[in-house]
Amino acid sequence: MSAPLLVLHGLVAGYGDVPVLHGVDLTVESGELVALVGSNGAGKTTLLRAVSRLLKSGGEIRFGGTDIAAREPEAVFGLGLVQVPEGRQLFPRMSVEENLLMGAYRRRDRAAIGASLAQSFDLFPVLAARRRQMAGSLSGGEQQMCAIARALMAAPRLLMIDEMSLGLAPIIVDRLLDVLVKIRGQGVTILLVEQDVFAALSVADRGYVLEHGRIVRAASAAELKSDPALQRAYLGAEDAP
Amino acid sequence: MLFAQILVDGVLLGGLYGLMALGMALVWGVLNIVNLAHGAFIMLGGYVVYFLFVAGLDPFAALPIAMLALFALGYVIQRGLLNLIVRSALLNTLLFTFGLNVVLTYLAQLLFSADFRTINPSYAGANVTLAGVTVPLAWLAAFLVAVLLAGLLQLLLDRSRLGRAIRATAQNLDAARLYGVDPRQIYAVTFGIGAALAGTAGGLYGLVAQITPYIGATLTAKSFVIAIIGGLENPLLVILGGIVIGLAEALASLYLGPTYSDVISFGLLVLILVLRPARSLKLA
Repeated sequence: MSAPLLVLHGLVAGYGDVPVLHGVDLTVESGELVALVGSNGAGKTTLLRAVSRLLKSGGEIRFGGTDIAAREPEAVFGLGLVQVPEGRQLFPRMSVEENLLMGAYRRRDRAAIGASLAQSFDLFPVLAARRRQMAGSLSGGEQQMCAIARALMAAPRLLMIDEMSLGLAPIIVDRLLDVLVKIRGQGVTILLVEQDVFAALSVADRGYVLEHGRIVRAASAAELKSDPALQRAYLGAEDAP
Repeated sequence: MLFAQILVDGVLLGGLYGLMALGMALVWGVLNIVNLAHGAFIMLGGYVVYFLFVAGLDPFAALPIAMLALFALGYVIQRGLLNLIVRSALLNTLLFTFGLNVVLTYLAQLLFSADFRTINPSYAGANVTLAGVTVPLAWLAAFLVAVLLAGLLQLLLDRSRLGRAIRATAQNLDAARLYGVDPRQIYAVTFGIGAALAGTAGGLYGLVAQITPYIGATLTAKSFVIAIIGGLENPLLVILGGIVIGLAEALASLYLGPTYSDVISFGLLVLILVLRPARSLKLA
């Protein structure tokens, strides 16, 4: 097997004087769907912000063999590392179609961009119906679809999705998870960062559990799902408060 | 008839006011910078067109040159200096542009002297009379250029890849960066466009009024008021905001006397700052 697509080694990050991540090790192989799970405040979003270089950090970040720890966000994006940020972060006063086109901002081939647009609308028919509507006026689920579609327009090598399920009805989450499986089938590597532990593990190959800024468990998704300690902690089984 | 004449004058002059405010509104909306040197850019554009006119060029042919020159100046100032402080506290950019205004004003005084200058081509006095209302052709042309440029800016923002990137940067900076937009580049281009629009407005201003090194401060204040009235996202609305101010000034000079025309925009400025200070600083 070739070198892993993403390698984090001893990643340290925080806000001001407050450290959040205390030396995180994590790898994502090409073609995998990896879940990073943990409760609110564990440092998941901080990790994504550090990887996409919106946040300064210490330690090693390698993407496709290149050290990106000193790069700017735009440069990292140019390498194919694309993030669907927490809270969707759409351009609210731009149409759905314009939001998607912004995903393809760095691409110049009009024909290929058109093909990607058609593919996105194929994946999310509701977006096709609302292509002229302002993104800010979409429902939460539609906004998340728009955000994922925008990321796909960038032709990512690694798609990182932050808190996809946040604020969405379970039925919408299931539908989005199905789409992720489909996207992975098309050859896109995915790092899914989720508070909804069992939703994420239901589609992932492997999972990492982040607690208080440290990786406390790393195993296959199947193994993690059946882990009684994890079930207790995140499903609120027997001894939950 | 006098009333109709005043209305026509107000609308025509208001279109030019709108063009003056256009660049300020664009920069404000995208960079969150209230550019206090905006009027100085208008002044410089006026001088560029004036000297090209003195050298024998038609003022309307000189407009694109003023546009390019001011674009370059704006681009360099943003890229080299303002980008260093663009996302810091509002006070920093206010101080910087205030200082820039002082520097440009006194440089202009040093280089061009404090004399009043007017751009006075042979057709400056030409006009047509329609139903008893006199339309000065230079004013009409200035109005048309203003509307044309606002329309072009609207097209650029709505339809082009650059325009999308500019709006995206204004609406959500982090997301724009995540999707490969380099904000330093977008900021510099946007500031350049703002300066170019100011420069063009300055050239036209020289056709209808007098240019001195000191016109900047008044025009900055006027542009500020119009930007607030017209909003920061829609160029044609900014022109409309200019027309509102132009009409208000014209009516004030009719009913209160010409001395009072400036009272309108400055009175509105004071009112806005007193009544809606939050809105005026957080429009973006």
